[in-house]
Amino acid sequence: MDFKHYLQVLKEHTPYDFSDYSDNSIKRRLQKVISDNSLSLDELIQKTQNDQVFVERLVEEITVNTTELFRDPELWPAIYEKLINIIKTKKTFNIWHAGCSSGMEVYSSLIILSELGLADRARIYATDISKRMVNQCKKGVYRYDFNGGQLKAFEKVLKKNPIGGIKSIDFSKYLDVDVDNDKYIVKDYLRDMVITRQHDLVQDDVPFYNKFDVIFCRNVLIYFNASLQSKIYQMFHKQLYPGGALVLGNHESMTGFFKTKFKKNGAVYQKTNAFHFKYQ
Amino acid sequence: MLRANYKAVVIGGSAGSFSVVSKMLSQLRKDFHLPVIICLHRLKHVRSGLVESIRLKSNLEVIEPNDKEKIVNGKVYLAPSNYHLFVEYDGTFSLSTEKPCNHSRPCIDHTLSSAAYVYRNKMIGIVLTGANKDGAKGMKDIFDKGGVTIIQDPKTCEVDTMPKSVARLIKPEKTLSPDQIVEYLNQLA
Ligand SMILES: C[S@@+](CC[C@H](N)C(=O)[O-])C[C@H]1O[C@@H](n2cnc3c(N)ncnc32)[C@H](O)[C@@H]1O
Repeated sequence: MDFKHYLQVLKEHTPYDFSDYSDNSIKRRLQKVISDNSLSLDELIQKTQNDQVFVERLVEEITVNTTELFRDPELWPAIYEKLINIIKTKKTFNIWHAGCSSGMEVYSSLIILSELGLADRARIYATDISKRMVNQCKKGVYRYDFNGGQLKAFEKVLKKNPIGGIKSIDFSKYLDVDVDNDKYIVKDYLRDMVITRQHDLVQDDVPFYNKFDVIFCRNVLIYFNASLQSKIYQMFHKQLYPGGALVLGNHESMTGFFKTKFKKNGAVYQKTNAFHFKYQ
Repeated sequence: MLRANYKAVVIGGSAGSFSVVSKMLSQLRKDFHLPVIICLHRLKHVRSGLVESIRLKSNLEVIEPNDKEKIVNGKVYLAPSNYHLFVEYDGTFSLSTEKPCNHSRPCIDHTLSSAAYVYRNKMIGIVLTGANKDGAKGMKDIFDKGGVTIIQDPKTCEVDTMPKSVARLIKPEKTLSPDQIVEYLNQLA
């Protein structure tokens, strides 16, 4: 099927533009929607033009929402080692999780901030294109069985590689467990600290007025092609305070012009302060 | 069938394939001129260390590629743990965290199929020892596009389910022992 043509139709008739997503992934996701719903391409186009509810569901289905608590456990110490220096001297600081999915990355980071004694100075913002994911992030309810292994793996990493002196975490301070129903429930006081909003990185204006000290955008831009990635890097650069940092996923590496405007340190890209240098 | 100017070698393997791949890379010519793209299943929660061990013996540089990394001749690329690895039309890699397929992330079918669409009859697809059927669909795509399909000879496999499930779907062009695979690749130059 001509999926490029379809993405143009989607772009013209709906608020969504996937035309600059990576070919392979978007093609396969669309093929899946077509076969799951037993549609022809013409029928898909028709439904896209006339059925708003279908379009919202389609967006849920073609975006990839996989996430984990403390995903890539061994990366968190390295990330926070760099972030601590950026935030520890600030009275308050702002963190944006762009493409937060169901929120597990948000709460993983927030748990570390709490352990570091920095949480009460943090303002946490979380956005995703998917309304369903934003709602899940607000709710903070996750499968117990699936995530237990991740918490253990993270504990193991902490023992060998403490974050700011933290060697272990008592997760019961942050998560209620309901084993019978296979659930972790994030405690209310943590959930209340997160401001969530549905937001499309491709189409929408920036979602908040304030600038940021840290932007997490992990495993989101891998679904975009290189030219769209560049545009998003530019937007993130503008939204960061001088010296602020963008955190990318494991195996993401910034390419293109904006690379020169950041200092790379592993997955952490720190905005260099060109303005500063000029007037020194 | 004459097919000169190959553009890539793509290899999938699971149970038992680590030592086979290590050995093959230690025997491949130092001036091997194609990219070698490898997708191996990994044990859950033993996610790191694979690339380091494979590097030890390899004659060629071994890389776990980043998203959008350009595919370069003469380098060995290993699908990073916990990501699917795809070949894109512009000669770069892309990564994805989509759900595991055939119980695995990385999934061999994804890498092989995406390569088949890009390299068509200019590629060599190889499936090694393994205990499941991941890779069979991908090999069928390579077969359909006219690429070279090779399976490890089941007699030499620690577990022969994987090459056998390829052979159930298509008739592979070659069935070779690991040594013969290396010999075949080394004479391509
Ligand atoms: C694979 S998840 C990554 C979640 C988390 N950051 C992590 O690394 O575990 C990717 C998320 O990006 C979101 N996403 C995709 N396209 C987006 C867009 N244009 N704007 C905002 N979010 C988007 C998806 O809905 C999905 O929840």
